[in-house]
Amino acid sequence: MAGRVLEAALQLLDRQLVDKHGRLAGKVDDLELTFPEGGGPPQVTAILAGPGALSRRLGGRFGARLEAVANRLREGDDDHPARVPFAVVAEIGSAIGLGVAKAELETDRLEAWTRDHLIGRLPGAGDAPD
Amino acid sequence: MKRLLSVALGILTAIGGFVDIGDIVANTETGARFGMSLAWVVVVGVVGICLFAEMAGRVATVSGRAVFDLVRERLGARLALVNLLASFFITFLTLAAEIGGVALAIELATSVNYLLFVPVVAVAVWLVIWRVKFDLMENVFGLLGLALVVTAVALWRLHPDWGGLLGGAVHPAVPQGEGHPSWWYFAIALLGAAMTPYEVFFFSSGAVEEGWSRADLITNRLNVYIGFPLGGLLSLALMAGATLFLEPRGIEPGHLSQAALPTMLALGKLGLAVLLLGFFAATFGAALETGLSCGYSIAQYFGFQWGKFVRPADAPRFHLVAMVAVAAGALLVLTTLDPITVTEYSIVLSAAALPLTYLPILVVANDPDYMGDKVNSRFTNALGTVYLLLLGVVAVATIPLMVLTKAGS
Amino acid sequence: MRRTWVAVLLLVAACTGPVRSSGVYESKAGQTAAAAASAVETAMLAVDGARGGKAYGRYLTQVLVEAEEDAGSAQGTFDGIQPPDQRADQLRGRLDELLDQATGTLEDLRIAARRGRFAELPELARPLPKVAERLGDFAEAHG
Repeated sequence: MAGRVLEAALQLLDRQLVDKHGRLAGKVDDLELTFPEGGGPPQVTAILAGPGALSRRLGGRFGARLEAVANRLREGDDDHPARVPFAVVAEIGSAIGLGVAKAELETDRLEAWTRDHLIGRLPGAGDAPD
Repeated sequence: MKRLLSVALGILTAIGGFVDIGDIVANTETGARFGMSLAWVVVVGVVGICLFAEMAGRVATVSGRAVFDLVRERLGARLALVNLLASFFITFLTLAAEIGGVALAIELATSVNYLLFVPVVAVAVWLVIWRVKFDLMENVFGLLGLALVVTAVALWRLHPDWGGLLGGAVHPAVPQGEGHPSWWYFAIALLGAAMTPYEVFFFSSGAVEEGWSRADLITNRLNVYIGFPLGGLLSLALMAGATLFLEPRGIEPGHLSQAALPTMLALGKLGLAVLLLGFFAATFGAALETGLSCGYSIAQYFGFQWGKFVRPADAPRFHLVAMVAVAAGALLVLTTLDPITVTEYSIVLSAAALPLTYLPILVVANDPDYMGDKVNSRFTNALGTVYLLLLGVVAVATIPLMVLTKAGS
Repeated sequence: MRRTWVAVLLLVAACTGPVRSSGVYESKAGQTAAAAASAVETAMLAVDGARGGKAYGRYLTQVLVEAEEDAGSAQGTFDGIQPPDQRADQLRGRLDELLDQATGTLEDLRIAARRGRFAELPELARPLPKVAERLGDFAEAHG
């Protein structure tokens, strides 16, 4: 996966992330690029997802507001947006397939919080749709 | 045989699900003021929504992903965000209008103030979104919505001057005493009511919810090309009823009860009862669809899990958005803002937002990466482009006309 | 640039003086008459329904309540507008007389419907066609 050219990397932006069970895990909101020592083109080392990442890309007043919301929603002091290491990517098609379950990803924080504190508490939340 | 039944069911639910509070209000008010002179707008609107709904359904059927889901990939985060904000706002306003509509329909049946029903309706809408299986929900409310066929029955039983009605429709002319700006304003409102943005998003997401695949392409087309036009006929039946009963008497309908007068006078108690059931089913079904669409659009932009095909616990933010939207919509109605007025604004603003909401569909439906060999035909693209140009003109004209005619007064 | 806009605004404001008020008042009177006529005609249709046993009591009551509200609020809005001159005063007098007839009858209908006395509705509604006609004529003359 390493060594893909930058233009190809840009094509990854805004794609849907799908975990190994076929569940939707967010979109590629931004990319973390690392310049390798010894020169050469930058490599995509991680996918960034979540309102923090998206707000930086969108920029402007809306982006700043979105980032403020994201910061408030984030637990702990870490200032960085949720990160999906690129090593976890299994397949690149029209959607980006990941080799792990979404619960193992940082990007699932907000979803998990919503489930644990709000939606999961309602009766019937765990019932299969049948 | 089973296949035939399921196709028939799909068509019937498409017919029954076509009309919502926007269509009821728009067609009744237009018929009362302008007779059948704007019937052509309904035809234009129905063709338009058939075109784009088929596209959106095809996208979901072939790619397995809802059309809104793909908008961000194709058009980029910024443009898709503008699209999202416009669509979400309009869909939310429509949701509030539908919740108000359900409450008004119940008020007509019980004579109890509609405001008292609003919280009950909101909870009921949420409960159905939370618990009831998708296709059961669609089928029940779609079939119940068929009760609105009573408007066509009423029309037929009246033995009206069909020549006169058709003449008014086929030779559109602004009636005496009405101005051109108002006529065009109502044309925009009718178009917005027929081509409501949420219907396309819902249709596309619904195809994914029901797990449609390539084998269902034909069903998709039949539902759209047969179901929607027949649904449009029901809209025209409402317009004709208003033309026959309300226009000659100078009645300016501002209440849902007045929309029921033609059917009541033509068919009596039974017709009235069936019509009220139809009003209820149409508005409740549309409240479900708009509530879900609020969830779909946000979830599909940000990429989190959506849909009723997974456990609610697996799509928590989706359900949260839908729940908050329904609650907020109910609160808007509880501010005692007239639901009819909310409806009027929602359909006009829908018309203004149409190019933003429909353009991405055309773009995505042409993308061979998602569609393979099922991209749009040249004819579809040509017609789609014509529509987008038309919708662009409509969008630009909406706000000036709204100001000029003081929102159609 | 800004001075030009202020001048334009002042000019426009000056032109919306008494002359325009009279015409506006008359057209408001016409619109009010039209709205009241609409309410009266709606009530007449409801009474037709009652006469033919075509509707449920609750529905009829709802229609009549709304008709009364519509006529009442049209009158209330109109009465709240300051008549600009004597001619407007006369207009107001004539319209109020018609509106009072309308709202009075609609009130009677509403009261009877609320009490479930639907059989009385056609009799109570006798004055309505004449009132509707006069309101309609008024609306056409002044709208």
